[in-house]
Amino acid sequence: MSALASIHDLTVTYRRDGNAVAALRNISLDIVAGERLAVIGESGSGKSTLALAIAGLLPASSAVDGRIEWPGPGQPPLLGRDIGFVFQDPSVSLDPVMTVGKQIAEVARTHLGLTWSQAYAKAKTLLERVRLPDPDSALHAFPHQLSGGQKQRVAIAAAIAAGPKLLIADEATSALDTIVQAEIVALIRRLVAEDGMTLLFISHDIALATELAERIAVFRHGQLVELGTTARIVGAPAQAYTRTLLDAHIGLDAAPLLNRSGLHA
Amino acid sequence: MSLLTVSNLTKRYRRGGKVVTAVDDVSFHIEPGETLALAGPSGSGKSTIAGLVLRLIEPDAGRIEFEGDDFLALRGAKLRARRARLQMVFQDPLAAFNPRATVARVLDDPLRIHGIASRAERPRRIAALLERVGLAADLAPRAIHEISGGQRQRVAIARAIATGPSLIVLDEAVSALDVSVRGQILDLLLDLQSQERIAYLFISHDLGVVRALARRVILLDAGRIAESGDARAVIDAPQSAIGRALVAAAPRLKRTTQDAS
Ligand SMILES: Nc1ncnc2c1ncn2[C@@H]1O[C@H](COP(=O)(O)OP(=O)(O)OP(=O)(O)O)[C@@H](O)[C@H]1O
Ligand SMILES: Nc1ncnc2c1ncn2[C@@H]1O[C@H](COP(=O)(O)OP(=O)(O)OP(=O)(O)O)[C@@H](O)[C@H]1O
Ligand SMILES: [Mg+2]
Ligand SMILES: [Mg+2]
Repeated sequence: MSALASIHDLTVTYRRDGNAVAALRNISLDIVAGERLAVIGESGSGKSTLALAIAGLLPASSAVDGRIEWPGPGQPPLLGRDIGFVFQDPSVSLDPVMTVGKQIAEVARTHLGLTWSQAYAKAKTLLERVRLPDPDSALHAFPHQLSGGQKQRVAIAAAIAAGPKLLIADEATSALDTIVQAEIVALIRRLVAEDGMTLLFISHDIALATELAERIAVFRHGQLVELGTTARIVGAPAQAYTRTLLDAHIGLDAAPLLNRSGLHA
Repeated sequence: MSLLTVSNLTKRYRRGGKVVTAVDDVSFHIEPGETLALAGPSGSGKSTIAGLVLRLIEPDAGRIEFEGDDFLALRGAKLRARRARLQMVFQDPLAAFNPRATVARVLDDPLRIHGIASRAERPRRIAALLERVGLAADLAPRAIHEISGGQRQRVAIARAIATGPSLIVLDEAVSALDVSVRGQILDLLLDLQSQERIAYLFISHDLGVVRALARRVILLDAGRIAESGDARAVIDAPQSAIGRALVAAAPRLKRTTQDAS
């Protein structure tokens, strides 16, 4: 169990209109090489801030204390090549005026040293891997011609194009239907198993996190509330807060919310 | 009489020399005060239907009747007046605004554009709207980028109800929210519905939420209606292939350790 990344006493503070907002407070956590780690917690708990800090993407307006170490051999990781990042909103990562094929091919060309034609072939394979319908036509499509879920699959394809060691997915599947979501989850499992990739999976969908992750970290108000195996977090949460999160899940067997609004048609 | 009746709606797109039929001969109706859910896989045409109903997209064929009028034929002042009755809330609807815009500004727009309140009256109206959606009135001067995702979604709902709509189209409106905030927003929607008899066209890929919230559901597949009916009946025992696949793939929270009964 070697650590891919070791986070020590990480504190991140944003400055906003003269005030300091503490987004993360004294976080210490190891990301184990080859593991699937999920981060859950309510809105504003610091999940995205953690992801941005690991990827080296924090805005200039932030102050960072503590450190993130990469104990493995070689250079510190490079975003795009060693770290793939999928954002919640695909329009953040996609260029609206560049075709889908070109955006993915460019990642492959830059980081893998492929020619354009090799990179386009790779792009097509990746679009097939993320199960985009009609990949040939999608290569030439612009982002606005795709549905929300299709755009997100393109963003995932671009993030894995260079074969990164670490894939960070920040609410990456929230906009996808359950079928594609299950396929993406299976794809991520395969990438982790076959390519030795490590996964940091951020999601407010607790059921999905439990299906995908081996370990779950629970965040609240910028602090790490608890961290454990998925079975332990779900089966025997140590913290009342974790139980509250589990209880708020609306599953396929949840009691109907309606009836309070009377309708007779 | 139905509030909204959609008949034989069709929308095609051309993409790279090919024709994509995003919406293919779709018909449905919504009753006053009712929640109808649209679910279906990614790319099945949900957002296109939302756009067509809101007249943000022009159909290739079909008819939309809203509050008794041929909605697609309305023009000018009549169209503007009727638009006030048909509102929308999207996944991050305030993302389109200048992030420096204040909450007050976001709520002032519809009141001004639809001539609902005089300039002098508007601050009071805005305070009342904020209160109606469970926000403090002193949020008004804050910039929208300074408030949380859940608060932003409440402001978006306040904006939607500002003009007194009879129907709100919600496209993945709670999908980006965490579970606790999502529950609160769903409660707010139900509360508004029972108080003001607002109908919802609720688009979501989350079948758990659809089942808990909606009375009826339509499952779309490749632009066509695959099946429809009582939301719980359809989701508990889907008949169509796509319905069965969607339900089978839904992630489940297995909290087995406590009670294995
Ligand atoms: N660029 C920024 N400038 C100022 N404050 C910020 C910035 N980004 C985040 N924050 C604040 O830092 C805190 C943590 O935010 P973060 O985005 O990490 O939360 P999150 O857990 O990802 O939430 P969500 O589930 O809504 O995505 C919040 O209070 C947020 O308002
Ligand atoms: N402007 C456009 N040009 C070309 N094709 C389009 C355009 N808008 C949508 N489409 C296509 O129409 C189909 C339906 O898209 P739509 O956005 O309605 O799907 P959706 O059900 O909302 O999907 P999602 O759950 O991913 O948001 C998709 O195949 C999409 O690629
Ligand atoms: Mg976030
Ligand atoms: Mg959509």
